[in-house]
Amino acid sequence: MLKLIVIKELKNIIQSPKFTATFTTLSVLLLLSFYIGINEYKYSLEQYNTATLLANDRVKDTRSWMGVSYSTYREPKPLQYLVGGINNDIGRYSTIVHSDEVKLRNSAYSDDPLFALFRNIDFSSIAMIVFSLFAILFSYNAINGEKEEGTLKLIFSNSVPRAKYIIGKIVGSWLGLVVPLLIPILLGLLLLLINNIYLNGTEWLSLVSLIFISIVYLTFFIALGTLVSSVTKSSVASFMILLVLWIVTVFIIPRVGVMSAAQMVEVPTISQIESQQDAYSKDRWQIYMDELSDKWEKRRAAMAGMTDEEKEAYEDDMSYAWMEEDDKARKQVEKDIADYNQKLNEDYVKRKIVLEQLALNFSRISPASLFQLAAMNLATSDIELKHRYEESMREYKNRFMDFAEKKQEESGESGMFTIKMSSDGGFKLNDGRQEGGLDVSELPKYVSPKQNYASLLNSIILDSVLLIIYSVICFGIAFAAFLRFDVR
Amino acid sequence: MDSNIENNNKKPILEAINLSKRYEDNALALDNVSFTIHPGEIFAMLGGNGAGKTTTINLFLNLIEPTSGDCKIDGVSCVSKPLEAKKKVAYVSENVMLYPDFTAMQNLDFFIKLGGRMNLSKDEYKSVLKRVGLQEDAFNKKLKGFSKGMRQKCGIAISILKDAPAILLDEPTSGLDPKAGAEFVNLLKELKKEGKAILMSTHDIFRAKDVADTIGIMNKGQLVMKKKQSEIHNEDLEQLYIKYMAGYMENAA
Repeated sequence: MLKLIVIKELKNIIQSPKFTATFTTLSVLLLLSFYIGINEYKYSLEQYNTATLLANDRVKDTRSWMGVSYSTYREPKPLQYLVGGINNDIGRYSTIVHSDEVKLRNSAYSDDPLFALFRNIDFSSIAMIVFSLFAILFSYNAINGEKEEGTLKLIFSNSVPRAKYIIGKIVGSWLGLVVPLLIPILLGLLLLLINNIYLNGTEWLSLVSLIFISIVYLTFFIALGTLVSSVTKSSVASFMILLVLWIVTVFIIPRVGVMSAAQMVEVPTISQIESQQDAYSKDRWQIYMDELSDKWEKRRAAMAGMTDEEKEAYEDDMSYAWMEEDDKARKQVEKDIADYNQKLNEDYVKRKIVLEQLALNFSRISPASLFQLAAMNLATSDIELKHRYEESMREYKNRFMDFAEKKQEESGESGMFTIKMSSDGGFKLNDGRQEGGLDVSELPKYVSPKQNYASLLNSIILDSVLLIIYSVICFGIAFAAFLRFDVR
Repeated sequence: MDSNIENNNKKPILEAINLSKRYEDNALALDNVSFTIHPGEIFAMLGGNGAGKTTTINLFLNLIEPTSGDCKIDGVSCVSKPLEAKKKVAYVSENVMLYPDFTAMQNLDFFIKLGGRMNLSKDEYKSVLKRVGLQEDAFNKKLKGFSKGMRQKCGIAISILKDAPAILLDEPTSGLDPKAGAEFVNLLKELKKEGKAILMSTHDIFRAKDVADTIGIMNKGQLVMKKKQSEIHNEDLEQLYIKYMAGYMENAA
């Protein structure tokens, strides 16, 4: 009987004109997201390869290892174009130069703000918005709709256990929505292969996990729809309730979560911190100057009544001690300022971490956030992307600078202009540069940060498990509600 | 032999035993109703809206639980063994609503199998659809284009194919055109000949008199009259209905 109910539900969904319309739209959107993602990835990869070559050429053209600079670029990853995350919001490269901090600059959206206006159609945004709507459209009247149509009473005039019926109905509607959805997804994967988009083992596993988590997300909304339709009398009421829940879940909670966390944890802006640091520095130097002035007053007072010769002799005796004392005080000021700055920076980082965690935990109330967070982690376009790259670029900068220093020493460059004069050759100016540019063949290669599948899986466990729990809870309540549902 | 004498020797298929139902709002929907329906017997329940006719049917289908009393189908209690009892009954509602995106054949296939008959052939479906008077070209058409009469025929086909000893009909002729109504009455007579015990709630006094073996009049949850066809043969049923309803009203006043 369960099989009969499942097949009926499956047929009922697939044969409905509503399904044809929504499935066609969804398929077009999904294929479009793969198509756009593939093209963007190809374009970004081309841009990346060209930029990397140019960066090498620039180093080659440089004639001195002294003050040499380089640029490292974020390597585009195919999945980042299916799940945009913060990929287009953060910079694409950082300059590697002694005098400058590593910082990702020039994001895709800052270069082309037009695209930032409406964001890209990527797989994850389609899944987050359209999958959930798709599920709601087919489940909002799962129970009360059948009652309104009169079929429920006819069904239960037969020897049908309620538990079996609701399970069959849920399984049938799940299969009716998920199986057809796999068709455009598989076609999308085919598009990746046709376009020779290379995915390594970890990326394939991540892609499969992404599809899985999308299905779990869809399942949640099927469960929610079934739940609401089994606790409301009319399908119009359940549709309205689900529409409100959908808006709250997909649009409100993720944003309110972040906003609430920002209200609860105060994180100063960078300019506020800089201004605090500046103020402290000024105050501290002012104190130092005042103390120095006092010291000199005392030193001068100690010399009162001395003759000029005695004063000169006393100053000669004391000058080294005074210089050491002043130098010690100056170093203490510098240390105090550095400590204060470090304390502020550490406090900023701590507060930012607390804010991020709180914001993420608040937003985790919404299954849409859970899905988005898991999808971003799998595609490595998550909130840590910037940090991961900057960290690896910092590490690269150290290697690069050590290498440049070593090369500089090997080449005997002083970094200064030297003028050689000889009776036969006259003047010869040496600017410390090598003839014909630098040899970059031994230049350390920058390697993008890698994450293995185990660490990716670990990063999505919490969100995936919560999403599954939410779905199970909804199904459980729908099940219990249906056992008491008035089918008349 | 008189069919009543013959029936008295048989075990009843449908039994209402002191059946009462009081809803959560304390409204008494059914008040100590008892009757039996034997194989090959049609019991027509007449009464106004809210008289308790549909409540009686819902109790037989175990869609609601009685406050007291019991109802049985072929000796099986609908209260203590509802799933077993429902194997022995077919139901046709006032407004048969099947799946609109399924064809007539697909609807039949689902509901027949749900009723427990898994091995019927498509030819058997077709022959029953023909028997109930559905045009052949409609067999494979989606239900959403069907008239009420056509849907009603599908509902009756389902109840015939279930081949249950008891049939419950809730206002089955309501909204049918005269031709469809007459066809339906003929079908009921055939089912009666096949030995089905039929409980029919209706407002249609004339068709009830035409087809029923026993006629009951219900008012405010009580079965205020129950007479065999032979007992009312020469009486004007409409007058009788008005008389009983009025008498009940006076008593109630």
